[in-house]
Amino acid sequence: MTSTTTPPATGPEAPAPGRPGARLVRAALRHPAVVPVGAVVLALLIGAVIILAAGLDPVTAYAAVISGALEPGSLDYTFSVWGFIIGMALAAAIPLRMGEFNLGGNGQLVLGGLTAAVIAGNLPLPGPIVIPLAVLGAAVVSGAFGAISAPLATRFGIPIIISTLLLSPIAVAVVSYLVRFPLGEAGAAVAQTPRLPQDARMWALGDLSYSNVGLLIILALLVVFWLVDSRSAVGFELRVVGANRRFGAYGGVRVGRLALGAMAAAGAAAGVVGAVMVMSSPFRLIDGALISPGYTFAGLAAALLAGGRPALIPVTAILFTVLQVGGAAMERSADVPRQLSDVLQGVVIVVLALRTVLDQRRTERSSA
Amino acid sequence: MTSTSGNDADAAGLDGPAASAVPAVELIGIGKRFGAVVANADVDLVLRRGTVHAVMGENGAGKSTLMSMLFGLLEPDSGEIRIDGRPVRFAGPLDAIAAGLGMVHQHFRLFDTMTVAENVVYGAEPRRPGFFGRGVVDRAAAAARVRELSERYGLESDPDAVVGSLSAGARQRVEILKALHRDARILILDEPTAVLTPNEVTSLFAVIRRAAEGGATVVLVTHKIHEVLSVSDEVTVLRDGRVTGRFATAEATAASLVHAMTGRAIDEVRNPRTGTPGATVLEVSGLTVGDSGAGSGSGSRTSPGGGGVAAVSDVSFEVRAGEIVGIAGVSGNGQHELVAAVLGTLPARSGRVRILGDDVAGRSVRDRRALGLAVIPEDRRGEGSAVTMSVAENVTLGHHRTPPIGSASGVGRGWMSIRAERARARELIRDYDVRTSGELQPIGALSGGNAQKVVIARELSHRAPLVIAEQPTQGVDVGAIESIHGRLLEHRADGGALLLVSHEISELLALADRILVMYAGRIVAEFPADEATTARIGAAMAGAAEAASEPDPEDPES
Repeated sequence: MTSTTTPPATGPEAPAPGRPGARLVRAALRHPAVVPVGAVVLALLIGAVIILAAGLDPVTAYAAVISGALEPGSLDYTFSVWGFIIGMALAAAIPLRMGEFNLGGNGQLVLGGLTAAVIAGNLPLPGPIVIPLAVLGAAVVSGAFGAISAPLATRFGIPIIISTLLLSPIAVAVVSYLVRFPLGEAGAAVAQTPRLPQDARMWALGDLSYSNVGLLIILALLVVFWLVDSRSAVGFELRVVGANRRFGAYGGVRVGRLALGAMAAAGAAAGVVGAVMVMSSPFRLIDGALISPGYTFAGLAAALLAGGRPALIPVTAILFTVLQVGGAAMERSADVPRQLSDVLQGVVIVVLALRTVLDQRRTERSSA
Repeated sequence: MTSTSGNDADAAGLDGPAASAVPAVELIGIGKRFGAVVANADVDLVLRRGTVHAVMGENGAGKSTLMSMLFGLLEPDSGEIRIDGRPVRFAGPLDAIAAGLGMVHQHFRLFDTMTVAENVVYGAEPRRPGFFGRGVVDRAAAAARVRELSERYGLESDPDAVVGSLSAGARQRVEILKALHRDARILILDEPTAVLTPNEVTSLFAVIRRAAEGGATVVLVTHKIHEVLSVSDEVTVLRDGRVTGRFATAEATAASLVHAMTGRAIDEVRNPRTGTPGATVLEVSGLTVGDSGAGSGSGSRTSPGGGGVAAVSDVSFEVRAGEIVGIAGVSGNGQHELVAAVLGTLPARSGRVRILGDDVAGRSVRDRRALGLAVIPEDRRGEGSAVTMSVAENVTLGHHRTPPIGSASGVGRGWMSIRAERARARELIRDYDVRTSGELQPIGALSGGNAQKVVIARELSHRAPLVIAEQPTQGVDVGAIESIHGRLLEHRADGGALLLVSHEISELLALADRILVMYAGRIVAEFPADEATTARIGAAMAGAAEAASEPDPEDPES
C-alpha cells in the first residue's frame, strides 16, 4: 500500500514520509463498506472478462442490463422482482443476524406457495378474508417448516446451514408431487394447480400488471424486521448472538429459543413470498415456477451483501434485481446468456464468504 | 494480557550456567503482538542439548505462541532464533522440520482412518521402485521403521493399527514417532499430559527421559508444577508474555514456581474485614462437573470416548452475604468449570447449587441471573463481551428487558429505548472512569483494563446479591486493578456476597475473607484470611503431595 495522497508532514519529528498516509489508506480499507463494494466490483470485472472471452463487448452487455431493467416500460415488472428478492433476502437475513445461514429458502418458498394455492383455491370466501388467510397460512406452514432446523441444531447438533440445505429439496419434491397428482389441474399438459378464482387473487395496485399489494406486504415485513432488529429486546439478542454466541449464552440469552424464532420468522418470510407469487399472475402454482427465477439465491446474496442489516437490504436487492431483470434484456440485445447474472451472484457470494472465513481466522489467531 | 510490572525475573530467576557446547536452540529477545495484545515480549530461551526443558506458565501466558514461533507456525515481530548457533528464519513448519524440530501438538494432527505406520511416515515416506520409477510407498519399510523407533525409544505401538481406534495416549505416541521418524533432534511437546491417564503420563515421562539421554532436546510446555519437578532439567517460567523465572529444576521448589507464575505487585486496596457475614447466598454441595471441552485450553482433562474426567469433583462450599470467598488455584484446576456450572452454561453431573435458597438445577442462565447472580467472566473477549459491538450495547446485555432500557410489562414489553440505553452507558462510563471516545465505540478498540471496567460495570450494576468474579484483574493495568478492587469491596460493604476466583495470591490475600484452594477439581484446603499466607496457599495450589512436603503444612487433605 503506497500512499500517493500523503498530506505534507506536520512537524519536524513526523515519522518517515508516507506513514500517516499509509495509515489513512489502511484505515479506509478497513471501512466496513470496502469488502461488499469490492465484491460487487470484482464480480462485475470477472463478468466483463467472461464476456470478453466470449468475443462480445462488456460495455454493451452491461448497458443492456441496466436499460433492460430500468426502462419505463419494464419498471412494473422490475419492482415486483425487487419485492420478491427483498422477501427472500429477509428469509436469509433474519438468521444471518444471529450468525446462522438459512439455505432452505426454496423449500420454504414452495411450501408457502402450495399453502396459499390450497387455501385461496378451495375456500369460497370473499377476497378481504381469503387473501389475508392465504398469506397467513403460507407464513405459518413455511415458518413451521423453517423452524424444524432450530431444534435439530440445539438438540442434535446438526448445523442449521446443513439441515436447511438438505430439508429444502424434500419440500420441493413433495410440493412437486402434490402439484403433479393430487392437486394438479385435470387434463393440463403442465403440472399446475387450477387458476385461482377472481376473488382470491392478490389486490392490484392501480393498473399495474406485475406489482401488486403483495409488494407492499413484503415491504411492510422489511419495516417490521428493521424495527425489531434495532429497537426490540429480541433484535438486540439476535445481534448479540451474531456477534458472539458465547457472550449471548453467558448473558442469559436463550440461544435455542432465539434460533427457533429466527428460523420460524425466516421461513414465514419465504412463505409470504411464495403466497404472493402464487396469487399474482398467472394465479396458480406451476411446478418449478417459484424456484426457477432464482429469487432465493439472489435474496441470499442481497442479504449477505447487506450483512443482514435491514436498512441496507432494499439497496443491495436493487443490484440483484437489476441483474436478474436486465439479464434477460442482455440476452436479447447483446447476445450474452442470462446465466451470466448467476455467475455474478456467485462471485459476490464467494467473495463475501471468503471475508467471513478470513475474519474468523483472524479472531481465532488473535485470541490464541 | 497487557504487560504488567512483573519484573522479578532477576530476583526469582537464576540463569542456567553457561553451557560448554553451543546450545541446541536459542531464542533471543523474541516479541510478538496480535493487534493490541502482547503475546510475547523480549523472551529469551536457551535449550541445551540432551536436556528436558520445561516452559511453564498459566493459560494465556504466551507459551503456545512462543512455541508456534519456534516451530515456524508464526513469525516473530522481533528477536532472533538460533539453531545450533546459526540464526534461522522459518517460513513455515516444513522449514522447522528440516532444521531438526518436531512438535507434538495438544490437539493431535493425525489421519484417523489410516494406520499408525501410514501416519508416521506421511510426508516422508520410504519409497520403492514401482511401475513409474520410485513412486510407490514402501509399506513394509514403513512398518519396519515404526517398529525400530518404538523399540529404540520404548514407545509401544502397533504399526498396523488404525489410528481412529487408538486411545489418546497411543495417538500421542504416534505423534511422537512421527517427529522421531523425521529425525527430530528437538522435540516440542505442547501440554502433552492434558489427555493422558496417570499411567500414560508415567510412561510418557520415561520416553522423554530416554530421548534426552539419547541426545535429543525436549521442550515440555505445561502449567503443571509436579510434572516440571519430576521430569525436567531446567525451567523457564512465562507470565503475561515475559520470562519471570529461570531455574535449574534441582533448585526449584513448588512455591518458587507458583510465585514466578502468578506473583504480582501487591496493591493498596485491602479488605477491612469488618462486619459479620449474613445469610447464605450461594450454597454448593457435592458438585461434580464434566469437562467444558472448549478448545480454550482451560478444560484440560478430556479423555477419549466421551464421559471424560470430571473437571470439578465433589465440591462443597457456601458464600454468605457481606463476605468475599476466594478460590485460589493454578488455572485449569476446575475453577472455570465450577463458575460455569453455577452460572448454568455448563451442566452439573451431580450435586446441588442453591442461589438465595433456590435450587437452580435445570434452570436457564437467564433464570439464575434473575434470581440475583452476576458474573464477571475470565475470558473477557470470548465470553464477557462482543468485541465488534459498541460499549453501550456491551453494557446493556442483561439489562435490556428491564427499566430504564426495556420494560418488564405493559405495551413497552420487549422493546428497548435506545435513548435510555445510551444515557445509561454514558453514566456508567463516567462512574467507572472508562477511557473511551464515546459509548458508541466498539469495545474491542478499548484497552484491556477499560474493556474490563465495562464488563464489571455491566455486572455490578445489576446490584445482584451474588457476584462471581473470575480473574477480575487479569490483563489489566495496575491503576485499573485498584479501582476494580475498590468496586468489589464496595459490593461487600453493601452486603453483597462475592465469590472471587483468582490465581493471583496477592489479590486473594488483599480481598478475601476466606480462601479455598482448588487443585485437580477438588477443594484441597481452606484458610481464614488471618491464617492465609502466600507460602501456605502456594503450597496447596501446587497440589496435595507438594503441600505435604512443605515446611508449614496446613492439612491440605480437607
